[in-house]
Amino acid sequence: MSRTILEVTDLRKDYRQRRGLVSMLTGQGRVIPAVDGVSFYLRENETVGLVGESGCGKTTIGRTVLRLTDASSGRIVFDGRDITNLSRAELRPLRREMQMIFQDLDAGLNPEMRVRDILREALTVHERPSEAEIAGRVRELLEQVSLKDSKLANFPSELSGGEKRRVGIARVLAVRPRLIVADEPTSALDISIQAQVVNLLRDLQKHLGLTYLFISHDLPVVELVSQKVAVMYLGRIVEMGLAENIAHQPRHPYTGILWASLADKQNTEVSLHARAGAPAERERPTWGVFDFEQPVNGCRFAPRCPLYQDKGRPAVCTDPASEPQLRDVGHGHVVACHFA
Amino acid sequence: MDAPLLAVENLRTYFYSRAKRAFIRSVDGVSLGVMRGETLGIVGESGSGKSVTALSAAGLVTAGPGVISGRIDLQSNGSRRNLLDGLENYARVTEQDGRVMAVEKDERGWRRHSETLMAGVRGKEIAMIFQNPRSALNPYSTIGKQLVETIRLHTNFKGERQARERAIHWLERVRIDSPRLRFDNFPFGMSGGMCQRAMIAMALSAEPSLLIADEPTTGLDATIQSTIVDLLAQLKTETGITTLLISHDISVIQRLSDRIAVMYGGTVVETGRAAEVLAPEATARHPYTAALLASIPSAETIRRKSYLQAIEGEVLDTIEVPRGCRFYGRCNRVTEAIRGNCAGLEPPLGEVAPGHKVRCWLYPAAGKP
Amino acid sequence: MRRYVQTPGPIGQFSELSLRQRAGPLDLVYVAYGLLVVAVVVASYLLGAFGWLPHDPQAMDIGLINAAPFTSGHPLGTDFLGRDLQARLILGIQAYFLPGLLAITISVVGGSVLGILAGYRGGWFDTIITYFDNLLDSFPRLVLILLVIAAFKADIYYVMVVVGITGMPVIANLIAGKIAFLRQKSFIEAAHALGLPAHTVILKHILWLNCRALLVIQATLGMAEAILVETSLSYLGFGVQEPTPSWGNMVQAGANYFLQGNFWPSTAPALAILATILGFQLLGDGLNNLLEGKRRK
Repeated sequence: MSRTILEVTDLRKDYRQRRGLVSMLTGQGRVIPAVDGVSFYLRENETVGLVGESGCGKTTIGRTVLRLTDASSGRIVFDGRDITNLSRAELRPLRREMQMIFQDLDAGLNPEMRVRDILREALTVHERPSEAEIAGRVRELLEQVSLKDSKLANFPSELSGGEKRRVGIARVLAVRPRLIVADEPTSALDISIQAQVVNLLRDLQKHLGLTYLFISHDLPVVELVSQKVAVMYLGRIVEMGLAENIAHQPRHPYTGILWASLADKQNTEVSLHARAGAPAERERPTWGVFDFEQPVNGCRFAPRCPLYQDKGRPAVCTDPASEPQLRDVGHGHVVACHFA
Repeated sequence: MDAPLLAVENLRTYFYSRAKRAFIRSVDGVSLGVMRGETLGIVGESGSGKSVTALSAAGLVTAGPGVISGRIDLQSNGSRRNLLDGLENYARVTEQDGRVMAVEKDERGWRRHSETLMAGVRGKEIAMIFQNPRSALNPYSTIGKQLVETIRLHTNFKGERQARERAIHWLERVRIDSPRLRFDNFPFGMSGGMCQRAMIAMALSAEPSLLIADEPTTGLDATIQSTIVDLLAQLKTETGITTLLISHDISVIQRLSDRIAVMYGGTVVETGRAAEVLAPEATARHPYTAALLASIPSAETIRRKSYLQAIEGEVLDTIEVPRGCRFYGRCNRVTEAIRGNCAGLEPPLGEVAPGHKVRCWLYPAAGKP
Repeated sequence: MRRYVQTPGPIGQFSELSLRQRAGPLDLVYVAYGLLVVAVVVASYLLGAFGWLPHDPQAMDIGLINAAPFTSGHPLGTDFLGRDLQARLILGIQAYFLPGLLAITISVVGGSVLGILAGYRGGWFDTIITYFDNLLDSFPRLVLILLVIAAFKADIYYVMVVVGITGMPVIANLIAGKIAFLRQKSFIEAAHALGLPAHTVILKHILWLNCRALLVIQATLGMAEAILVETSLSYLGFGVQEPTPSWGNMVQAGANYFLQGNFWPSTAPALAILATILGFQLLGDGLNNLLEGKRRK
């Protein structure tokens, strides 16, 4: 079994919302727990998918494990080294080992720099290669992301979406990372280009032995690229396990709904089938906005949970003392639900 | 056969892109018909011209050097009216080598004439819902007020109380819970899905003959998307509204459409009954449609963890339109027998089966337009 | 009928076009005129600094008071003390050149620092700098200058420090805006993720690559501002003090004789002010169009 490259324990990240001078001076303000006690690990050369709706904290996790923002509490261990409290200067050499692909296609592409200069800068951040080495590496990078030589002279604004994505990936590969956090790497692209990028990322993993934390809301893609999938709901992981189990034998009602909604859109028959299998035909619960200011009583999914309704609103689900914890249901599959 | 409710004929819409400093042939010869009561889904990638087709039909292309030509016939109250009638007198286009070089346009005249043509059509006969519902709703007015305004303007419910009851009825129809409370909500207090529901209520409350839904689920969360799609499907069966549905999401199109049109590079490359065009076993199919379907991970691909069949190359920008087939550069099904045609001649939209048309030289029927 | 023509030649984004392709015909005229003005100003400054003047600017000729232009040896005539106007006009630029540069330096450096603190560090800094900006904006600049003059002395350098400081918020806001734009595109975060040190990000990526055009434009406009402020102060008697010439105090002194028909002693410096300010403003405008691609309709 390959070794663990990243281990995250009980990670929390609160955002403090401050408005105006008074709250700034007093240090008070609303505290929004974007990530609320998350633990997971990544093994070398493995892909873990992180799925969930927008605002569930999946992007925040990506940024926090790379220490692009500071964690409020918890522990992040990268390659056996606790990086939770490293200073910026101490982190810099580690940056070459762990990288991020941002959702925004323009991330890292300075609009005033040509592709050539963007890659050159990335190649010289951590090393002092000779001109010949730089030229060689640039050629190698272009080949890896299958980009034409002629694009080197272009400014980012002249590139198409797919080309921007490729340059962004080449820039990240320039430092030879081992771990890449890919935050919605395909969501800004056209369908036909998405497939190219997904293939490219998988190719790179195979050839360079990369480890991915793959954050996406595109369930089929996540299922395709990941070995393990973690499902997040409002700052917490509610279910985690092997990709095929998460997709086909979900234990948490939320995971079920996520995948069902996909099938629903795609195919009327499947959804009818799924509904027939459901205990009772009824209106779906309305999906309101979650209010962070209200204390979470018990399971945070309960207000939207079909199982909670079906079971006749059991008290345990809204008992503040018993928020469901992740527990193993076999084969490393963990679920945070009282009834899983 | 009945005349279609909306018949688009040889529609061309050109824009000037300041960013690219060139004219873009966003829609370039599109002919479509939407029958009463059916949903026509237009699917395509960004730049395929699908949204602009819809905007043109709603008379929303007037700004700057935007130019529309062709015919858009709307069947309303038993009479036909061409929504582009006479607009060509206000603009002249100069083309050279497949590239639009110059546009001369009397902007004020165009705008005025377009407003005359669209008077009583937009909002009343044709209602639209957009991708970003929150920005389409007025942030300074409550949902209820906006609904009442629409209802009193476009329907026979003129009285304040009557219109109010009608508005609440529509909020119920789009499954907004406690509609009487939501009536007084402002858009910013509502989630994206809720805003889209309100937007749909607003569009339908004018009791239009045609609903144009431009990317109605894009930008919403997966679970919300599916509830909106559910809602649209239910409303379709309940009201039988004629819909022109635009989306890049094939699954949405597949779920909601009776017929679909696949657009690429400003033209329709395939059109037919949805079940037929998207059927997994379909034999006659445009290579682009096939490739588009293949680039979505299927259950089979996922199980075998195999590669996705990506379409090589980049989406065509419609500044310089090639002489041959628009998909030629990316097509993986060009055979030696037809290569000459593909490279040099744009294929016509030929019928391969009744009601199923494909714009490709692969199908001999296409050769005989 | 309005005609829209596609630019011949390559299709492309603004930033990839060569300067010649970007330029509208008017922009080139603006910039050419602006550069000419800058050249004349610099040349005048050097002439004045080295004392290469056609006449002694302080030498009075009682016989030739308010002499008309083209009077023997005085191509622009003389003032009310019979001093050569041409020499005084050339020397007058001394009053603006270094003080103006000081004002520009203060506003550019100070504005950049504030802008970066507000945009890059954000949080506390952003709030405090916003309050500071509002504070400065709420004072009329002239009142502030008069306060400083009252508190210290009527020295052009003091005035220009105030001009420089009051010019900072504009630049700070522009830079903070640019940073917010880059941040929104995850640009800054991506630079950090790559491992670029903060100073490279700030100096190279933000200031040099993305804000240089903006700073040049603001500096150009700053010079025009400095001349204008000095002129208004001179009119109130708080500008550069006689006998040192400045365009402002020349206009002011000459104005007393304007109605007597001796219009040239005030008209010549007034035209110089007009031409120079116009030059700097047009240069700023033209550069804005050329470098930033902002063409006003």
